[in-house]
Amino acid sequence: MLTEKGLWTRLRTRLIFTGPTLLAFATVMIIPFLYGIYLTFTDWDGIAVTQNLVGWDNYIGVFKDTVFWKSFGMTLEYVFITVVLTNAVAFLLAYAVTRGMKAQGWFRAGFFLPNLVGGIVLGFIWQFIFNQVLVFAGQKMNLPLFGASWLADPDKAFWALVVVTVWQYAGYMMVIYIAGLMNVPKDVMEAASIDGASNRRMLARIVLPLMVPSFIVCIFLSLQRGFMVYDLNVSLTSGGPFKSTEMVSMHVYEQAFLARDYGLGQAEAFVLFILVATITLLQVYFSKKLEVEA
Amino acid sequence: MRTEQKWMKLSLLSLAMVVILTACGGAKSGTGTEASTTSGDNVKITLLNSKSEINSQLEQAAKDFQTENPDISLEIIPVGSGQSPFEKASALYASGNPTTMMMLDTGDVEKFKDRVLDLTSEKWMKDAVENSTTATTFDGKNYAFPFSIEGYGFIYNQQVLDQAVGGTFDPNSVQTTDQLEDLFKKITAIGKSPLIVSPMDWSLGAHYLGLAYGGQSPDRAKVDQFITDLKAGKVDLASNAVFNGLMDTFDLMKSYNIDKASPLSGTYERGPEVLGKGEVGIWFQGNWAWPQIHSFDTANGKYGFLPVPVSNNAEDFGNTQISAAVSKRILIDKEKSTPAQQEAAKKFLDWMVYQDKGQDFLVNQASVIPAFSNITLEPADPLGKSIGEYIKAGKIEESMSTLPADHWSKLGASMQKYLADVIDRHGLAQEIQAYWTNVK
Repeated sequence: MLTEKGLWTRLRTRLIFTGPTLLAFATVMIIPFLYGIYLTFTDWDGIAVTQNLVGWDNYIGVFKDTVFWKSFGMTLEYVFITVVLTNAVAFLLAYAVTRGMKAQGWFRAGFFLPNLVGGIVLGFIWQFIFNQVLVFAGQKMNLPLFGASWLADPDKAFWALVVVTVWQYAGYMMVIYIAGLMNVPKDVMEAASIDGASNRRMLARIVLPLMVPSFIVCIFLSLQRGFMVYDLNVSLTSGGPFKSTEMVSMHVYEQAFLARDYGLGQAEAFVLFILVATITLLQVYFSKKLEVEA
Repeated sequence: MRTEQKWMKLSLLSLAMVVILTACGGAKSGTGTEASTTSGDNVKITLLNSKSEINSQLEQAAKDFQTENPDISLEIIPVGSGQSPFEKASALYASGNPTTMMMLDTGDVEKFKDRVLDLTSEKWMKDAVENSTTATTFDGKNYAFPFSIEGYGFIYNQQVLDQAVGGTFDPNSVQTTDQLEDLFKKITAIGKSPLIVSPMDWSLGAHYLGLAYGGQSPDRAKVDQFITDLKAGKVDLASNAVFNGLMDTFDLMKSYNIDKASPLSGTYERGPEVLGKGEVGIWFQGNWAWPQIHSFDTANGKYGFLPVPVSNNAEDFGNTQISAAVSKRILIDKEKSTPAQQEAAKKFLDWMVYQDKGQDFLVNQASVIPAFSNITLEPADPLGKSIGEYIKAGKIEESMSTLPADHWSKLGASMQKYLADVIDRHGLAQEIQAYWTNVK
């Protein structure tokens, strides 16, 4: 509440409290973002001292870059599969470790653990598992599924990415679901059980509707992470075999730094930003409508 | 009034603090070289190393250099293997943190020429071997130090091949595709795999496919013309003799590959292991692989190079030549480095060319084939020796060191498709032509 009289005093009070944060926000978020948009109108190659303005050429280039749209399509597929699987697994894990079983604290910590490993390291570890451990096991035990490395086959390499992503993020989302499950009022559940509702009915009619806020957060997070996947992509498959698992972030990065077309890469990044922002905001907007009060 | 003054002071203080904190954040981090380096007369310089296989040798060299020059400390910053040095160097420039020296590929130099020192008047210029600085000279100014000559072809394990031919294997006996196939058959006959094809995109795209361009003609101008024609879409690869001959050899490699069952699952590390242990006789790779082969060596260090044949006529260009050129260059930053740092960096380059320790590092420790005629040390490793012999005999085909930056990645992927039988030769030729007509 602002009680000071006069524009200057009001402004000053605001600056005292928000000024430092605004300054920091502007210098590390807003200015680089705007500068990035400026770069999309140049032909900069990433290192040259001079930049020439080229108008909308780079944006036209984005629409002409079929590889960009192909990898965007594949990323959509990947996002859809990982969002569904991650959240399904996470919810089941959360449900399991809030049932009051023995050592459930240990299980929670265990499932969360993959999140503490950085994406790059994790990718290399799984690369070893897919290339060596599984192949060895597959050959010894005669499992044709693991007979050859998953990372050498375009479809299986895609699923390898999915498996590792779900494994990594399910534990994180689980924590959010646990918090949601804990917040379901005990008295409502008790009343329902006195009324003779079965476990499954309580889950469908009480727990799930009350947990919509958790679902919104988790789906939002997994959507965003799915679209932005890069570290895992680089370290696990490096886009291979033959670029068949090159997700859109990696394509943008390669366009900017490998093909040395920074302007085009930056334009693709900006288009990607708009698309992902639209999708995630729509998701939040529509799922908000599902929220109910206890 | 009093309280308002207090607030005023507080707000000013907090603003000042933010300014100071942000300033601190930007000034110095990680690889920073622009921070004041004069404390205690110690000049701190950094080198971006893009030859990851010699990183530990370089670190040792940095220590040796430091012992001889106590006022200079040199730090080696590696580029991750698989990452392009250009990418790393431009990212460092973008963050205002370039290293004092950076080791880049030949094709990268032109992009950096506005930001690096002109090295034309350096002492080592007169000792550099012929043509070693032409690719990095623009408007009469040379911007790069030629660090290493590298060559590639079929590396053979003498012990396996001796056993296969039942005597001493003579590398001159393989000069055509048919003779190569005979050799493969002989190796199969002794119960070993003839060769391993490593499926890395850089190896297939930049090195193997590079032979299709460089092998067009011994005359460099004609090769350049061929590239120009490719860009203009005037080349029909499907009917090009050199390309077809090279791919015939590749088909042969595919069918005799130890990893034939799953050709894309191999890693670089697998190559030196199976070659060194004698499980295969041949590996398509370059002399940079020696340290890794050495660590698995079971052939008493007896290895050498065979050319990659492109036809059945031994007289054809490419059948007796291996590909070699100056591959890595060292550039000195002039934007963020102090004059003292630049001097120290030049001193390090001189040290490698003129000091015993430096030469020893280059030739004996790092197994680099130096591009300087004053260095008389004989390479101790068999691969460097083999390349040296090809150079002396004049049997060298120029490596394509100035291909577009994403050539290895994009066309490497096409070669991987061909290796895994996803596309046929016609499809491969089309992908290559499509790449060239779209490249900037």
